[in-house]
Amino acid sequence: MPDACGRTFDEAFLSGYLDQALVQGDEQRVRVHLEDCVSCRALLEELASVRDATMSSTFDIPRNDEWSEAPRSGASRLLRGLGWRLMTAWIVVMIGFGLWETWQDADNLFERLLLVGGVSGVSLLLISVFLDRRQAMKTDRYGEVRK
Amino acid sequence: MVGRQPLMASPDGTGESESALVDQARAGHTGARETLAQRYRPPAYVLALQMLGNRDDAMDVTQDAMLRFFTTLNSFDSERRVQPWLFTIVRNQVRDLWRRRRRRPGDSAPDADSLTSQLVSPAASPEADLRRQQLREEVWRALATLSSEQREIIVLRDFHDLSYNDIAQVLGIPIGTVMSRLHGARRQLRARLEEGGRHHA
Ligand SMILES: [Zn+2]
Repeated sequence: MPDACGRTFDEAFLSGYLDQALVQGDEQRVRVHLEDCVSCRALLEELASVRDATMSSTFDIPRNDEWSEAPRSGASRLLRGLGWRLMTAWIVVMIGFGLWETWQDADNLFERLLLVGGVSGVSLLLISVFLDRRQAMKTDRYGEVRK
Repeated sequence: MVGRQPLMASPDGTGESESALVDQARAGHTGARETLAQRYRPPAYVLALQMLGNRDDAMDVTQDAMLRFFTTLNSFDSERRVQPWLFTIVRNQVRDLWRRRRRRPGDSAPDADSLTSQLVSPAASPEADLRRQQLREEVWRALATLSSEQREIIVLRDFHDLSYNDIAQVLGIPIGTVMSRLHGARRQLRARLEEGGRHHA
């Protein structure tokens, strides 16, 4: 932009000027040039307004107690995830094993029917919950896309 | 929520001086460690957020960085200032995260929506404030599209108020190159804002 404006310093000095980071001689050189040069003045003003916007921003930061709840490190986060998965697998295996044992030990048709009825009921409930969750996840994803 | 004031590390400080705190923390003083953590975790978190764009990643990185900060406390020269040193650690942790996710710093732009969603709006909003807040959002959106090198130098100077000297230390570059790099980044940011403005018009 300020090509033919006749300044005798690198354009980056305008940033240095803005940040008050120039040595006295350079600062003066820039100041004197700015008195006469409209385009450098305009650029400086724009840079200043963008900088003010950045400077005056505030970000939400986590509360103190949120820090103590969060896993301490990437490693512990990984272990926690692994732990949950292992525990879920363990529960599934134990329930399956228990059911199998009960089936084997059942003395008569009535006990076996009871078992089949119970397991089917619980399974249907779980499946319906699963279907709802999947539906919810799908609609969420569509919501994201629509934005 | 924390405003700008508490985020500023005051070397002359109203409370205890920084180097005294570091010395005490090093000697195993729990209170001093806690004070250091409370003073420097917020700016470390915000820097991580500005680089990564999302809260969970930023919290992870901050936790790791604080841990590393305290475990390396003994090798820290207490004449140096804490903030640039901690920021160096945060920056390395951010890069580690990108590396773990096999992303190059060049294509690790934070999600602009997710970043600006963490901006706090001023409580009372007359029209002028609203316009200013809009500009802030546009600026952070544009910042999210810059390369990580350009974004970090602007954020360190204009948000965290680091001196050119401290910036050179955090980025590991010669102090003589800070000004030109910063100016290049500011020009790029301005160009992005103009592009964005044209889209809106
Ligand atoms: Zn000029």
